[in-house]
Amino acid sequence: MDEEKKVSKKANLMLCIFSVIILCVLLFPLYWALITSLKTEQEIFQNPPTFYPHILNLKSYAAQVETGDFNMFRSFGNSFLISIGAMAIAVILAVPASYGIAKYRFAGRKAMLLSFLVTQMLPVSVLLTPMFIMFKNMHVYNTWIAAVLADATIGIPFSILILKNYFASIPKDMEEAAYLDGCNRFTAFIRILIPIAKPGVMVCAIFSFLYAWGDLAYGMTFILDQEKRPITAGIFNFMGQYGTKWSYLSAFAIVTIIPVALIFIFMQKYIVSGMTSGAVKG
Amino acid sequence: MGKLKKFFQYENVGILFVLPAFLYMLIFVGYPIIQNVILSFQDVTAGNLVRGTKNFIALENYLVLFKDDVFMTSLKNTLSYTILCLVFQFVIGFALALFFSKRFTLSKPIRGILLVPWMIPVTVTALMFKLLFATDIGVINYILRSLHIIEENIEWLTTPGTAMFALVFANVWIGIPFNMILISTGLTTIPKELYESASIDGANKVQSFINITLPLLKPTIESVLILGFIYTFKVYDLVYVMTSGGPVNSTHMLSTYSYKLSFEMFQYSKGSAVANVLLVILMIVGSFYIKVTTEGEDD
Repeated sequence: MDEEKKVSKKANLMLCIFSVIILCVLLFPLYWALITSLKTEQEIFQNPPTFYPHILNLKSYAAQVETGDFNMFRSFGNSFLISIGAMAIAVILAVPASYGIAKYRFAGRKAMLLSFLVTQMLPVSVLLTPMFIMFKNMHVYNTWIAAVLADATIGIPFSILILKNYFASIPKDMEEAAYLDGCNRFTAFIRILIPIAKPGVMVCAIFSFLYAWGDLAYGMTFILDQEKRPITAGIFNFMGQYGTKWSYLSAFAIVTIIPVALIFIFMQKYIVSGMTSGAVKG
Repeated sequence: MGKLKKFFQYENVGILFVLPAFLYMLIFVGYPIIQNVILSFQDVTAGNLVRGTKNFIALENYLVLFKDDVFMTSLKNTLSYTILCLVFQFVIGFALALFFSKRFTLSKPIRGILLVPWMIPVTVTALMFKLLFATDIGVINYILRSLHIIEENIEWLTTPGTAMFALVFANVWIGIPFNMILISTGLTTIPKELYESASIDGANKVQSFINITLPLLKPTIESVLILGFIYTFKVYDLVYVMTSGGPVNSTHMLSTYSYKLSFEMFQYSKGSAVANVLLVILMIVGSFYIKVTTEGEDD
């Protein structure tokens, strides 16, 4: 890699300018949503459109706190609760499972691995109605538990497939040294192997959270009451209710992006690692 | 008891670690899949969903589907949508990967930021593109008018052909980072010496791209395309939020039509049948992915 020829100074400048142009073009939709959320409704309808808010308007955000009919921050909290719940289930189940698959050659191992691979490809449509009936029978329909249980099914197979590679790459000597120090299989797993695989666990936690955060189908289908719904379902509902109230809608969109942006800023390396290990989105 | 203890010695201890996750998936995914197949052979509507007798009507739901115009449109839409998205996101993603493989000051940071569209919840993406494609206030109409490409505003999302275009456009935006990053990673695995010796032998850039880059990237390209197909083919949120299958059912996909049948028209069994058709197609394509990924996997 380092032997690669560096480009000349002039070429470097040209490439930088060109890459900034690409960046601006590709991220324009995000910029547009952001400035729309900061414009007055009147300015949004202005022709020709303004490319930055001439009058800064924070009412679209403030109104969400004040008015009671639909509270953005409440649905934000719901989403957060659901995503953390789904993430917890996924990580707690996937960490031991991936270790088992990576380190032991037991009967039925291949079939189990294959079944996790297959579940990653399933469309939500196949699961919605049967889950709907199941959750009604379990009396968790219309509660956040239903969304947590459903969202965890996206994170689990993804996490197992990622983590098994991390565990597989840990040399056997390390485990054996732990046995010599008096660990048994379970304590060696908890004290030695999990800490080594920590970056992998982070990737799994982040992606399980993001999958649940971005979910619309489950949250919308299994939770009926507006005040219990996650923020994605809230946006959709809001669109039907307020139609073209774009300042409110884009404020909603921006607030939904905040956790994603924070994860991106602080944990970018995990994102790249997760994406390149074969992530099918949602 | 003794037998059980013997079974769980050595390698089979692994089962105990995998079992909790496996059971969870069996209950919340495996069982529902079987239920969905059974459901598709019955006549379940809102009336007999939770209680009441469910009649077995064999393949009736499936036979009806193939005479259903909306179903046939959904099937065609899903296929053409997937192929169009794949072509554009692959070509643009590939071009960007090649561009960012050059080493300049901003190459890594900007390539990183370009991943953002892939991470944003699809509902939000759908909303953003609804805003861009809006008829009166939409910036896309404004740009096209300023460039004198159009005279009057286009009603993008309420005209059949253009609504599909808008959906493809939005999905390509989500797909570009995914294609770019996977191909970027693939490119780093190609030894630089190959290009050097090729250029000594007098090969130009196009020749070395065709003779070195493409063949060595084949495994990466395969998995990018298959994963892209799977993700795009089961599209739900994007279409549901942007057009809900409209105008006049012209942008329905298998997933959105299935949802409409089940949760808007309460014809659960018919909805399940549509979902199963979607599942079968995905599994056929998915089996190629499994073949690609498990090749060379230790057993």
